Amino acid sequence: MSLIHVKDLSKHFKILNRREGLGGAFRDLFSGDFRTVEAVAGISFDIDAGEIVGYIGPNGAGKSTTIKMMTGILKPSGGLIEINGLVPYENRIRQAQIMGVVFGQRTQLWWDLPVIESFKILKEIYKVDQKTFDEHMDMFNELVGLKELYSQQVRTLSLGQRMLCDITASFLHNPQIVFLDEPTIGLDISVKAKMRTIIKELNRTRNTTIILTTHDLGDVEALCNRIIIIDKGKILYDGDIKKVNALFGAYRTLKLQIDQFNETTLQTLNDKLTEKFGTDHGITISENEESWTDVTIDQARTPLSEVLNHLMTNFTVMDVRIVEISMENVVRKVYDGALT
Amino acid sequence: MRGYLAVMRGSFMVSVVYRFGFLFTILGNIIYLSVAFFLWKSIYRSSDTIRGLTFNETFIYVGLGSAIFILLKTYVDWILNFEIREGAIASYLIKPIDFGLYTLFASFGSLLMNLAAITIPTLIMLIFVFKVEFVLGPGLIIFPLSLFMAFLVSFYIDYFVGLLGFHSESVWGLSTVKEIIVTVFSGALIPLHFFPEALQKVLLWLPFQAIYHTPLMMITRPDQSWNIFLPMLFVQIFWVVILFIATRLFYNQAIKVLRISGG
Repeated sequence: MSLIHVKDLSKHFKILNRREGLGGAFRDLFSGDFRTVEAVAGISFDIDAGEIVGYIGPNGAGKSTTIKMMTGILKPSGGLIEINGLVPYENRIRQAQIMGVVFGQRTQLWWDLPVIESFKILKEIYKVDQKTFDEHMDMFNELVGLKELYSQQVRTLSLGQRMLCDITASFLHNPQIVFLDEPTIGLDISVKAKMRTIIKELNRTRNTTIILTTHDLGDVEALCNRIIIIDKGKILYDGDIKKVNALFGAYRTLKLQIDQFNETTLQTLNDKLTEKFGTDHGITISENEESWTDVTIDQARTPLSEVLNHLMTNFTVMDVRIVEISMENVVRKVYDGALT
Repeated sequence: MRGYLAVMRGSFMVSVVYRFGFLFTILGNIIYLSVAFFLWKSIYRSSDTIRGLTFNETFIYVGLGSAIFILLKTYVDWILNFEIREGAIASYLIKPIDFGLYTLFASFGSLLMNLAAITIPTLIMLIFVFKVEFVLGPGLIIFPLSLFMAFLVSFYIDYFVGLLGFHSESVWGLSTVKEIIVTVFSGALIPLHFFPEALQKVLLWLPFQAIYHTPLMMITRPDQSWNIFLPMLFVQIFWVVILFIATRLFYNQAIKVLRISGG
């Protein structure tokens, strides 16, 4: 039997339609004008013990809402969740003992106290014995070196330090499942790397099931074997990462700032590229903002270096940036049938 | 249980962090006590007893009342409302703890700090600076217990107002109204004896008097006897039980409408 079983899960919120301005705010006092927002609209999946699953999607896709339902904080509007055969919402306190949760945008540490005090409180709350606690702390200290932070007040930590402490805290009671909701949001590359090391290591040594939501496709590539892509409350893709990997692994967006940009530039660009690489070049061109042009290249078909070279010789390029494909673009490509 | 005690300890430590706050509270209290002292002194110039109370009794009532007022101020409603609105409540709900008990113990932690930093100094001041005399009797023995019950009544009223945050996005107005009602109807500002008879009768049927009036009466009543005090204590316990059950039911219903947006 699978560890997590989700069937036809849905959640809708009633939201008061707010009006603009001061007058609107007053009228809202007596307003019964609600609209229903479907945050999660019927999703189903099963997750086995020991999996690392990337749960991804653009902003507002329903990721966090799903996680909050799986952790038992929110009550589903419909459908079923079972974790170890129990419904989280009805057995919140019992289920909490086997789960760890990190919300990237908030902390579960005590803001005003030194870091170590939060760990001690959590140790008592989760009834962790001293030996396990010491072993855990040693292990984390080895992995990320947090010891010197222990006496520091949580609110004086940097975002990266705080996140590492939060992760440490969420694994403290050796949970079976850890939910990481945007754990790398706003972190620099070195902290991200540390974070990935810890997650991998814990999954390997303790067989902890990890469900990761993120905006950073790098996290997904580095950690997950399976991904679930969700948008507008519905699952778009659920399966092996390899197939998707080709998708965002191969695409790069070239951001160009071209001198004397005008309305014909895009057309000229396209013509020049077709001239050189033929009609099936797999390149899409779109205007971004104020003279920045996005050229998205499928490297499987056309090498990026050649495109760049060609453009540099034919146009006066003032500035260039190369970026990996964004979550929104991945989702768009999935919609366009890239995975079928 | 260990977990809740750890929470209490943590909350106590948080209060210690804001130690400068205490200095100002104590300073404010000294000023308040001085004003109250001279105010009641001048009121008592015309007669030795007013409504059966001597100056000494009234001043203990008012002075100790202010000490208890600060003692019980743990801002549960404000904190809870903030946490519900910001969604910070999520980090409690993911833990294997009962939210009501968690809040109670956290609040008790800061109460202990208030006790050590403000209430005891105020008490010392009342005895040594303002020279009030406490009646020795069973009242002094039962007072701590009664005070603890007063805390529970006050806590559950605050907790209830805080929980309203699930329904209303801001309980600022409600909190303010609650504050005024509690301060006036509990006898924290003016002893209940000074209220019109009819109003007194009504107030004795409300939970607010259990917060200040009951423990204060135990200290100030000249007729010290268990036969009077025990029923008073039972009334307090009655209110604790009622409010406990009411907030439980309300919480179970309110948690269903919880919305945590963003992140």
